Amino acid sequence: MSSMKQREPPKFLCKLEMEVDKISNLPGHIIDKILSHMSLRDAVRTSVLSSKWRYKWDTLPHLIFDNQSVLVSSQDQTLIKNKLVNIVDHVLLLHSGPIQKFKLSHRDLQGVSDIDRWILFLSRGALKEFVLEIWKGHRYKLPSSTYFCQDLIHLELFNCLLRPPATFDGFKNLKSIDLQHITMDQDAFEHLISSCPLLERLTLMNFDGFTNLNIHAPNLLFFDIGGVFENVSFQDTFQLAVVSIGLYTNTGFDRNLTFGSAGNLIKFFAHLPRIQRLEVQSYFLKYLTAGKVPGRLPTPCIELSFLSLRINFNDVEESLAALCLLRSSPNLQELEMLARPEEQSAMRISANIVEEDYENCPFNQLRFVKIAGISGLRQELNFIKFLLANSPVLEKMTVKPGSTDGGWELLKELMKELLRFRRASVQAQIIYLDP
Amino acid sequence: MPEGPMAVVKPEMKPYIWLQTTDGSIQQVEEEVAMFCPMICREVLQTGMGSSKNYAISLPQRVNPAILGLILDYCRFHQVPGRSNKERKTFDEKFIKLDAKKLCELTSAADSLQLRPLVDLTSRALARMIEGKTPEEIRETFNLPDDLTEEEKLEPLRNLTDDPRIRLLNRLYARKRKELKERAKVKNVEVEEEQLVDERPVDELLSFINGDGESKGVKAAKNKKKNRRRKDLSGNFSSNDSNCNQFKEPNHLPSGYLIGDIDNATSQSKSAVFQDSASVTFSPKLEFDNELDPAMEEELDREVEDFARRLNSVWPERMQEMLSLGQERRPVPVSLNGNGAVK
Repeated sequence: MSSMKQREPPKFLCKLEMEVDKISNLPGHIIDKILSHMSLRDAVRTSVLSSKWRYKWDTLPHLIFDNQSVLVSSQDQTLIKNKLVNIVDHVLLLHSGPIQKFKLSHRDLQGVSDIDRWILFLSRGALKEFVLEIWKGHRYKLPSSTYFCQDLIHLELFNCLLRPPATFDGFKNLKSIDLQHITMDQDAFEHLISSCPLLERLTLMNFDGFTNLNIHAPNLLFFDIGGVFENVSFQDTFQLAVVSIGLYTNTGFDRNLTFGSAGNLIKFFAHLPRIQRLEVQSYFLKYLTAGKVPGRLPTPCIELSFLSLRINFNDVEESLAALCLLRSSPNLQELEMLARPEEQSAMRISANIVEEDYENCPFNQLRFVKIAGISGLRQELNFIKFLLANSPVLEKMTVKPGSTDGGWELLKELMKELLRFRRASVQAQIIYLDP
Repeated sequence: MPEGPMAVVKPEMKPYIWLQTTDGSIQQVEEEVAMFCPMICREVLQTGMGSSKNYAISLPQRVNPAILGLILDYCRFHQVPGRSNKERKTFDEKFIKLDAKKLCELTSAADSLQLRPLVDLTSRALARMIEGKTPEEIRETFNLPDDLTEEEKLEPLRNLTDDPRIRLLNRLYARKRKELKERAKVKNVEVEEEQLVDERPVDELLSFINGDGESKGVKAAKNKKKNRRRKDLSGNFSSNDSNCNQFKEPNHLPSGYLIGDIDNATSQSKSAVFQDSASVTFSPKLEFDNELDPAMEEELDREVEDFARRLNSVWPERMQEMLSLGQERRPVPVSLNGNGAVK
């Protein structure tokens, strides 16, 4: 009798507990999902909640070690580094199951050799996403085991040195690669790009070690580059839809190419039939002016709907190149023309482009235009007049002058002219923004 | 309606789908709302069920009527195509203002209906309830039993900065390496003389590599090499254990033979022990350890084997031992007794 009485209370309690604790018995993939929405630190701390929760965190598929997930409060560099290394070692050792994503991006972790053994460990699994950002110190040289991660779909590196072994033949599953502040050899770079057959996105910012960008990637959709280079050429990139390209240096390319050879402008667009969005930044427009600048491109960019140009309105060649582009983009919907600030001298260069060039060139889809950084020069006004006269469906044009060095007089003239210009579109709003 | 389940649904103003929960209750839901759930959508399209009360679609066990009501509210709002992102977001934020218990049930039910956006929404809400809170607060929110011992609770916090397991492993390996190096230095002279020619026949080498040679390899007496060469010359080689005991060496080196014999006796028990420690293989190491003093060898082997066993067992119980070990005996080598327990 007494034993039965003793037995009842625990059973009753258990029943209550089972009824009320609804979270511990959720399926594993849901727990993983819940834990993946918090920092690694918080996820690991769930191991003290109860006996069921002890090892729930160790199947997390995404491991992210960054400034938020790992709190190390100390000023001593060595101490911080040791703590961080301990934490990563510990988590990797206790983790079970596949690791799909690994991100290491802690402000205080330099390119230490411990990263080598972590990458070796990860390369033995089926790692799909790898993000490594070395915030301080020298370029970190990736160990050769990095190149054995053949399941990689996304690779993101910051401040790294890439030297693939001679036997490296690309990442066969890689779709997206993001390299910033990296060093690599010319051959290694070309080989990397051309041997990743599924590559769709390429981001490359601030690189050294190579100056020729020969992009051979038939599946490439997105291309974002900013850096110092001499030459860019696409091969078979017939799907490329979004390009943003910035050349950070004013020199280093020869404007006077061999007589007869196609200019950079033609060469650049030769393999971009499907381009939809194009951003020409920094000095890249100047690069495009090298060689012969035609009035129009051989084949128009019929899919181009967004165009952003960083331009020096004072430069005749650049204006011609811009005109050529505009004439070859009949389906343009949105246009930005931004003046390069440092070249805006107040000189009134009267190198007028002949008026005939602004003949009929209808932009039947152009709705939004943004002009910024101007100072009231003739060339700028010509462009605005040209656009207004040829855009029957224009909805909004914003004009924003650059700094007011040129003086208010010039701007007053600008505003007067703006009011006067003939507009093809009845509903066009011209909005003048203060500098 | 006399129609069977495969009949075409009558073109009414608002078609309905019939759903049945595990408690038996059946309700009818507007078609476009119910079809927002992938699982229901699939059932309707593949099996044609749900068009009448008799052929109601059975919902998974995790969906009870109250939760079904919530899920249908969610579907009813989101299946309307014209809503802006802002509207949807505002709705979502209001929608998940539920208590923890309901949220868990909702997550579970949405998962079984494969309604991924709702699962994402509720998991985020649950994550917000967990992150940044103290364990006591979380336990209270979710009614978790506080059933870990105090030491177990301390471990993760401790180990995030300081893992005795890794340290122990490193220490053992370091010591082994040091000892092997010392032995190698001492033995170098002798070894050089002996290792001029390796005349072992192929099958001996093969059996050695395959692990049969363990029993022979372990008792590495100084003159083991000499022993083996004698074996070859005498041509009496046969496999494994029986050989060790029955081996009759010509009387060139009686002392060597004796030592070999003594070692053979212990080797039997040893090889049995080795086979038990399934997770640790010793063959590669043995090759290298040829020149070691047998007693030292045994001790080292037992240590590593013991450690391996510890690694493979549930670590919380052992962690306590290692914690105390780590604190008290930092520079001093681990000493073991016969059954592997750490002193």
